[in-house]
Amino acid sequence: MTAARSAVAAGLLAAGCVAWSAIPLTAGGAGIALLTTAIACAVFSAARLALGATPVEPVAFLNPVVRAGRSMADLARVLPWAEGMVVAVLVLEALHRSPPWHTGLLGAALLAYLFATHLAETWARPSVLRPQAPLIAAGLGLLALAVGSAALPAGTGSTADLIVVLAALAAIVVGGLALPR
Amino acid sequence: MNPRRDKAAGTASQTSQVRPVWSLSAHAGRLITLALAGLIIAVITRRPEFAGVAAPAVLLLAARRPERPERIGVSASPSAMRLSEDEQADLQVAVTGYGDYSVELLVHPRFAVVPGPPDGPADGGPADGGPGGGPVTGPGGQPAAELGGGPGDGASRLPFHIGRSGRRSLGVLEITLRDRWRLTEGRVTVELPTVDCYPRPAAQQTRVVLSRLPSRLGDHPSRSSGEGMEFTGVREFVPGDRQRRINWPATTRRGRLQLNTFAAERTQNVVIIADASSDVGEPGSTPLDLAFRGSAAAAHAYLAVRDRVGLVVYQRSVRWIAPGLGARHYYRIMDLMLADPRATGRLSLGGGITRLPRAALPPGSLILVFSPLLDRRLVETLRDLRERGFSILIIDVLNAGPSGRTDGLSRLARRIWRMEQEAIRFSLRELGIPLVRWDGVQSLDEPLAPYTRRVMVSRR
Repeated sequence: MTAARSAVAAGLLAAGCVAWSAIPLTAGGAGIALLTTAIACAVFSAARLALGATPVEPVAFLNPVVRAGRSMADLARVLPWAEGMVVAVLVLEALHRSPPWHTGLLGAALLAYLFATHLAETWARPSVLRPQAPLIAAGLGLLALAVGSAALPAGTGSTADLIVVLAALAAIVVGGLALPR
Repeated sequence: MNPRRDKAAGTASQTSQVRPVWSLSAHAGRLITLALAGLIIAVITRRPEFAGVAAPAVLLLAARRPERPERIGVSASPSAMRLSEDEQADLQVAVTGYGDYSVELLVHPRFAVVPGPPDGPADGGPADGGPGGGPVTGPGGQPAAELGGGPGDGASRLPFHIGRSGRRSLGVLEITLRDRWRLTEGRVTVELPTVDCYPRPAAQQTRVVLSRLPSRLGDHPSRSSGEGMEFTGVREFVPGDRQRRINWPATTRRGRLQLNTFAAERTQNVVIIADASSDVGEPGSTPLDLAFRGSAAAAHAYLAVRDRVGLVVYQRSVRWIAPGLGARHYYRIMDLMLADPRATGRLSLGGGITRLPRAALPPGSLILVFSPLLDRRLVETLRDLRERGFSILIIDVLNAGPSGRTDGLSRLARRIWRMEQEAIRFSLRELGIPLVRWDGVQSLDEPLAPYTRRVMVSRR
């Protein structure tokens, strides 16, 4: 039951992420292609969670229709649909100039989607994420920091933008190194 | 009768040290994708908010620790090495040396093995105490149970039952170790042991008893007088008779000493022929399953009254066990049913049942045949046995017919097949071989009732 709830949550988050990154859709043909890719990846990702693990019964004596269905299911299981959706959604988000908070919310939703997918595919309870809670909170703090730095009026020109990006990167790396091993 | 349990099974298994195969988890792969995509887009588009999107993933990945257990100890043993069909048993799994990793157990069952819901940790084990919480279960390949992190040792009991008799391999146990960040996975696969699953005996309380019994002490009242318990009549006293058996009321009436007479109690030899040559229909309720369940029921019922019971399994080859007594003999009979015909074949079908030694088929035996009568050679053998004077009772276990298309030709073929089957049964009845049908659901007492209410006349 827990896994089913996680799978439903993952599906809803995937749909939300795709919709959030697609609006407003202004990028023309590339945007449509990316949106299609994201939707397909989200659908197959949900299908993969619904299908579960590979059944252990031999397929040698099944009829061709069932074997074809099994092959399609195996295809859905093998390919990295969630990764594809993440990339497609982020690129789609980058195609239009949305406010930083818009991207920040998308990042948080993507992170939640990845955790929900993991819980659904391992049939684990959400409590397994308890040890990671401080790190997740720190990461979300960094995300808010980055969004805030992007929202602040910075210097003009491309150099200033690059400095903002490098600063954010440095903050992340330092945050990672500062953690106890 | 419950099959004998191997009490030592739970402790006989040894802990084997196995080396896990370590890899990044799928979750880690997705986090890496998110981090890389966010950082690359941030650099290309010069938008720092995308670097922020990557931040939580980078932080989580940075927390991954390289320490891993090189080897873990695994032992997996069933609670019983001998079961009957649908009897619940436990697979006791113990894992040691996994440190603070969480352990997930997953059983990939083989044919006829049905995993049941776990009912908690075994005694003395800290199972289910870790971050994974309680066990979860399901037939679709989901985890069977989780052992908690913490002390590094844990145990769990995974219930299962076997739906069909035979020598069954339980399957494969897959153990997955996960670190607390769920980023690293170690996998171990362990082959599970093989368990003997005996056929579940059908219900049978009554027995068919022949009118002529061999002169061996037993529990069945025979026609001849003897020292039994069943009163048969009164006769005149002759010197040498026991005085305690004098019937005083009859003596008073007739004026001469009268004596009570009793039936002698004899045993009978029962040879069960289980036809395992046809395995058609739904697995679990094929004629083969019914033949074995009926044979197990008959063996149990007759051994309970100290009859001598033998078994002949008619398959690729003929395997037999000579009639014997006692509970131990019951398990010999069960083991013969499970034996691999290729490994233990003792007589080719060319020889057939008619060439069995006298010890395996004693004269005067009651022969109970559990068969769908699909094998012509067996039918001919039964005719031959009847002509040699054996008393035969056939329990017809055919519960499936040919299926297929519904066109006229197929219907005609099925009709001809049914008529052939009826003809076979008719010819056997004409030879004086009683034949009853048993569907495997009802008690064996119901179809056998016409032959258990009174003794079955053995004709030569």
